[in-house]
Amino acid sequence: MSSSVPRNSPHSEPRSLLAGVLAVLVHLLFIALLVFGVSWKDHPPEGMMVDIWTELPKPVQEPVKTQAPPKQPKPVPEPVKPEPEPPKPEPIKPEPPKPEPPKPEPPKPEPVKPAPPKAAATPPVKKPDIAMKEKPEPVKENKPDLEEQKKKEQEKIKEQEKQKELEKKKELEKKKELEKQKELEKQKELEKQQEIAKQKEAEKQKALEKQKELQKQKEKELAAQRQREQEAKAQREAEAQRAAQQAAARNQVTSEIGKYKALILAKIRSRIVMPPDLPGNPVAEFSVTLLPGGDILDVRLSKSSGHAAFDSAVERAIFLSKPLPLPPDPTLFNEFRNLNITVHYRE
Amino acid sequence: MSTTVTQDMSFLHLITSASVLVQLVMLILILISLSSWWFIFRKLFVIRYEIKKTDDFEDIFWRGVDLNALHQRIISSRYESGSLERIFAAGFGEFTKHPAGSDLDAVMESTRRAMRATYQREMDYLESHLSFLATVGSVSPYIGLFGTVWGIMNSFRSLSSVTQATIAHVAPGIAEALIATAMGLFAAIPAVVAYNRYASRTDQLATRFESFMEELSNVLQRRAAE
Repeated sequence: MSSSVPRNSPHSEPRSLLAGVLAVLVHLLFIALLVFGVSWKDHPPEGMMVDIWTELPKPVQEPVKTQAPPKQPKPVPEPVKPEPEPPKPEPIKPEPPKPEPPKPEPPKPEPVKPAPPKAAATPPVKKPDIAMKEKPEPVKENKPDLEEQKKKEQEKIKEQEKQKELEKKKELEKKKELEKQKELEKQKELEKQQEIAKQKEAEKQKALEKQKELQKQKEKELAAQRQREQEAKAQREAEAQRAAQQAAARNQVTSEIGKYKALILAKIRSRIVMPPDLPGNPVAEFSVTLLPGGDILDVRLSKSSGHAAFDSAVERAIFLSKPLPLPPDPTLFNEFRNLNITVHYRE
Repeated sequence: MSTTVTQDMSFLHLITSASVLVQLVMLILILISLSSWWFIFRKLFVIRYEIKKTDDFEDIFWRGVDLNALHQRIISSRYESGSLERIFAAGFGEFTKHPAGSDLDAVMESTRRAMRATYQREMDYLESHLSFLATVGSVSPYIGLFGTVWGIMNSFRSLSSVTQATIAHVAPGIAEALIATAMGLFAAIPAVVAYNRYASRTDQLATRFESFMEELSNVLQRRAAE
């Protein structure tokens, strides 16, 4: 047993230091994992940033659009048709579907001139929207054959002149029609005004009539109120009388109910086979559910007398005494539907 | 916009921006985790060493070596002996101390007592710190949870001053707070695993020691009867 004293010393393991180093290593590893893991997850939010900022460049594009409009007039000239008669832009609309009304106004440039600026303009035009691209395309088609264009333009000019004459005629006809229409409208307006005036007068008359009616109604109501008050007084008196009568009736009813309850109790008592020699005066309470006609639906012991023999004797007696005597008036049956019967051992 | 999105969510920032109490909880958990891992490795080495020593000693003992020589060798190299060797040394030393003519029952009784005492001491040593691992395993999640609940409470309380509450106001606080739970779990899971493993290992060793004690007492009784 002498060796037992220093026995704990052999337990001082030199490897505990190694264990500590390993423990620290494990933690460093874990922390490194966490740091790299979390910072790695940091990058996706930055990607989100890029997405959000892409929305902002749009305003940058807008200036490009603003630059574009000046270019628009240049391509527009292609339809040289407007040259001869620039003042009337409206008729031109049907023929060239592409150009817009404002564009034909600056038709100064000749067909040849617009071409070079277009070429210069095309490269920047690529950036803007699709709408822009559509316009330059027709321009390119026109460039190759200028002579044909000229011929076409002459033909077009002739056609335009014809059309314009037609249109002038049409316009005259339209003006006439418009004048007629205006006259008609004026007549209609006058008629309307007259009608409105009539309506207003009618409304005034109606309002007056209504006022009169209201006054009459008020008078009637007042009379009616007086009558009602009188009637109410009469009713109150009648009610008082009725109440007195009802109270009397109730008294009769209650007396009848009491009478029949006493009859029921007497019938039950007559059927009880009393267990002999019970101490004191035990009381058994039963709640009996009755059917119309005096039949017994259910008998429940609501308060025991403390003597099972007495309780069962009373229960048997209740079942034996059916049908129970009920008042002939069926309206009184509600008083007997759920009957509480208390039976004393001694009366 | 940019301020909320580019909030530094790195691990270190989350820890440093946490509230003082949460940081304290984190510190406690780090210390607990460090010490629990230290004990895990210590017990790992100790139990492995004991199992190896027990295997070796049983191998030598049942090969039929001279018990006196074995006893002498164990006494001389006491600092490199295993638990089972020490149990044997205690029992055999007690057995040889009795004079030859003494009562056999009394000799065997005292020998058993000596072995039993050493066995208790050795088991105590083997099972030391296992309770610490069990405690870490069961308590550190709660400590972490406490830190988390506290951090989340604070982050929600900061919401009260804001008219329009967004998740961006709460999210960093919750992330900070949740680190405490993560730490608690990190401390608890290895501790529980190690505790269960080491407890079963020490139980195995204990049954081996006990059966060896019975067998040795039989051997010694036979030797005394001869």
